[in-house]
Amino acid sequence: MKALQELARKLLEDKTVSVVIGYEEGPHGVRPAFITKPDQADRLIFDPRCVHNLATFLSPRRSHLVTLGKKAVVVKGCDARAVAGLVRETQIKREDVVVIGVRCGGVTGDPMGDGKLTEKNVAPRCAVCDVREPKLADHLVGELPPAPPTPKGPDMVAKLDAMTPEERWAFWQKELERCVRCHACREVCPMCFCERCIADKSMPQWIESSAHPRANLSWQMTRVLHMAGRCVGCGECVRACPANIPLGLILKKVAAVVEERYGYRVSDDPSVPAPIGTYRLDDKQEFIL
Amino acid sequence: MSAKTLTQADLTSLVSDILAADKRVVAPSLVGIGPLEHIEYRPLHKAEDMVLDRGLPKRSIKEMFFPPTEVVFRWKQKKSDVAIDEIPTTFQQTVVIGALPCDAAAPGIVDRVMNWDYRDELWNGRREATTIVAMACDGGDKSCFCTAVGLGPESSKGADLLLTPVKAGYHVDVLTPKGEELVSKYSKRFGEAKSADEAKKYQEAARKKVEGNLSFDAPKMRAWLEGNFENEYWRTIALRCHGCGTCATMCPTCHCFDIVDENEGVLAGERRRNWDTCQTGKFTLHGSGHNPRHDQNARFRQRVTHKFAIYPGKFGEILCTGCGRCQRQCPGGMDLLEILGDIARMAGGAA
Amino acid sequence: MNLYQPFLMRVDEIIDETVDTRTLKLSFQDPKVAEKFEFKAGQFGEYSVFGAGECTFCIASAPTRKGYIECSFKLVGRVTKAMRDLNVGDTMGFRGPYGNSFPLEQMYGKSLVFIAGGIGLAPVRCVIWNALDLRDKFKDVTIIYGARSVGDLVYKRELEEWSKRADVKLWQTVDPGGETKDWKGQIGFVPTIVEKAAPAAKDCYAVICGPPVMIKFTMPVLEKLGFGKDQIYTTLENRMKCGIGKCGRCNCGPVYVCKDGPVFTAREIAALPNDF
Repeated sequence: MKALQELARKLLEDKTVSVVIGYEEGPHGVRPAFITKPDQADRLIFDPRCVHNLATFLSPRRSHLVTLGKKAVVVKGCDARAVAGLVRETQIKREDVVVIGVRCGGVTGDPMGDGKLTEKNVAPRCAVCDVREPKLADHLVGELPPAPPTPKGPDMVAKLDAMTPEERWAFWQKELERCVRCHACREVCPMCFCERCIADKSMPQWIESSAHPRANLSWQMTRVLHMAGRCVGCGECVRACPANIPLGLILKKVAAVVEERYGYRVSDDPSVPAPIGTYRLDDKQEFIL
Repeated sequence: MSAKTLTQADLTSLVSDILAADKRVVAPSLVGIGPLEHIEYRPLHKAEDMVLDRGLPKRSIKEMFFPPTEVVFRWKQKKSDVAIDEIPTTFQQTVVIGALPCDAAAPGIVDRVMNWDYRDELWNGRREATTIVAMACDGGDKSCFCTAVGLGPESSKGADLLLTPVKAGYHVDVLTPKGEELVSKYSKRFGEAKSADEAKKYQEAARKKVEGNLSFDAPKMRAWLEGNFENEYWRTIALRCHGCGTCATMCPTCHCFDIVDENEGVLAGERRRNWDTCQTGKFTLHGSGHNPRHDQNARFRQRVTHKFAIYPGKFGEILCTGCGRCQRQCPGGMDLLEILGDIARMAGGAA
Repeated sequence: MNLYQPFLMRVDEIIDETVDTRTLKLSFQDPKVAEKFEFKAGQFGEYSVFGAGECTFCIASAPTRKGYIECSFKLVGRVTKAMRDLNVGDTMGFRGPYGNSFPLEQMYGKSLVFIAGGIGLAPVRCVIWNALDLRDKFKDVTIIYGARSVGDLVYKRELEEWSKRADVKLWQTVDPGGETKDWKGQIGFVPTIVEKAAPAAKDCYAVICGPPVMIKFTMPVLEKLGFGKDQIYTTLENRMKCGIGKCGRCNCGPVYVCKDGPVFTAREIAALPNDF
């Protein structure tokens, strides 16, 4: 913690950056912090409640943050993939952001909770985490905490895979019918950086904007396909969803398909090309008749 | 008005009775899977699905009066002519059970704008068809601030009946003719009132619990908001705001909407109204490309100003019931309680 | 019939104003509605093409001309594209009239100066015809109208007509570079021409509508000419959906433009927060 605060203070003092985006204790739990003055740096904290993916704030779509100037951002290993994604997809330049990596022992899904990690509250992504030390970091702070507990409960993706197509269809119909088409999933997503989303286009209206089953399915399927090989698995969409739709399950499934077909796992190295923008002679293409 | 008692078993039977009479019953019930399981106000299939002990439902009661999407009419085209199919503006009789006071109070506040010179039949139709049985709250959590906006965990505003948990089940305050009607129709389920004191104690304890969270002088706040549109405070208000609009989606009083056309095949379709929110950039974007609210700071200022100055100025009520959902559910950690506290201090009205 | 259900209109005539601006003349399909329908200058409506959606435009024809309404629009998006695809005889939807109006009775006995830029002439044209149809109730009538280029001038036939009338003073202008060889009007931006025309402020009302930048620079000119803030009327254009004070979109500080406006005096505009 001290190391993090000292680093932030130094970066602001020597004007390397004009804002450090990190975590602070708010009146109701942990929240993102925007530190612009060196003497505010001691507000920065990091603990298992720091679930937010702060890389989202680097997206150029957030015009009110672009004006803040050069940024340093505190990232966990998983969030670093989003920074890499933004660099890979030319939304930001690597040299325009100072990446402060924190060694992470897992996070809970609840920034307002007590911060004690249990097998019940640990974020699902922490179970398969292999990036507890963010490699992309310009500065790495903190000691490596013990590994997080393994989440409890059944593997829902496996359960869905085991269903018949009819059962799976019924499952998703039931979950997606609750979607109110607020598009919060998109707004909080670090990789949803389009200046104008296809769902907001009306000429033609590719995707209907109403919250009915047909439109909900077409919206969520479109988003998921656009996330193939791009979703960093941070779970911000699930956290933001006002209907608690298990978007993570379908995103996880798509990630598994991408890995199986293209041998690609979303990388925290911006120089590793993503399959969506790459053609390789050995790409599997037996689906093309 | 009068008071009654209702046991837990009788409440369950009451719900079954109402369902058997072909009415709709809406109550908090479980939805979602695994760790995402939560409660929402939902039409019940059976009385046993009602869950009254899990606190505030994730989303507010507003969608029972103002659905996320609704058809306002259908049309069919034949050569150059168009025929319109009207949508009924009368609705199935509905009893909402277990609405917390912050939810029960909200529709009455939104009534003002929905009847401002033009009467919105779709809203009013559902309002008239609905009886609200509210449930006194235990005082909620640290994000609650109903007492700051003139309500409270025991507030009966907007309720036809108010249930207060007591040892014997519920103490029932009968508050309106609609409430009277419900009680007399199902009179065998209601017993004589005998726990008024116990109910009062419950309510007082609840109020004590929530009161400390926030308080402010509403007129002073309104005056400050009206006079400080350009205040420095707004320039960095929404740094952590993603503009996702979850605050508005969850909010019992946010009522902005969009109107869109959708086709069913080539020669038929429907016009719908859908929830919308001032937190998105598209909301105010002109055809010319000009956008008066060009960034998230301006959009968040609008949300606060509309609720605590514009709406009170126009319609005499604060457009907020203090449910705290916007703070609790915000993925970016925006905190309306903190912001209102700040403004109250600047306005010189902090208590 | 709920609030969001439109009247059915027939497209009677299509008039191309410029390459991307068009006027539709519409009549009510239900004769009972046609008979009862009344509006005031400055009011607007929600025009729709079924399957494309609704769009907000002023009623560009004058209330003194009964039996039809007109709507002038520029091709911008989905609805205006669909409106351009309509043929004479096709059906449109219309909800309205909504909003407040220009207080014409209050202006009786006074002079009027109309100042418009580009397609901003549409709402002003409604007041112009309204006033010209009651010509003896007003003193001098001056019209100052400008567009980027000659091709961008709308209502060309009517400009011609006004230019010939002895009881109307018409100043037409185009931005420098926008003139053609045979252009006989002024060359210069609208505020400059207002300064040149120098309408007398005494016993006069100004009605002004156009792009924000035109309004911004015309206001001080009018002020210099002696126009008080209550002598200047304009009409605001905020994005709207419902038109009836429900959907929240056009809210700007203490006013809902659709219900409290769209017509405001310069004094009222000056009191609004910079949110429009």
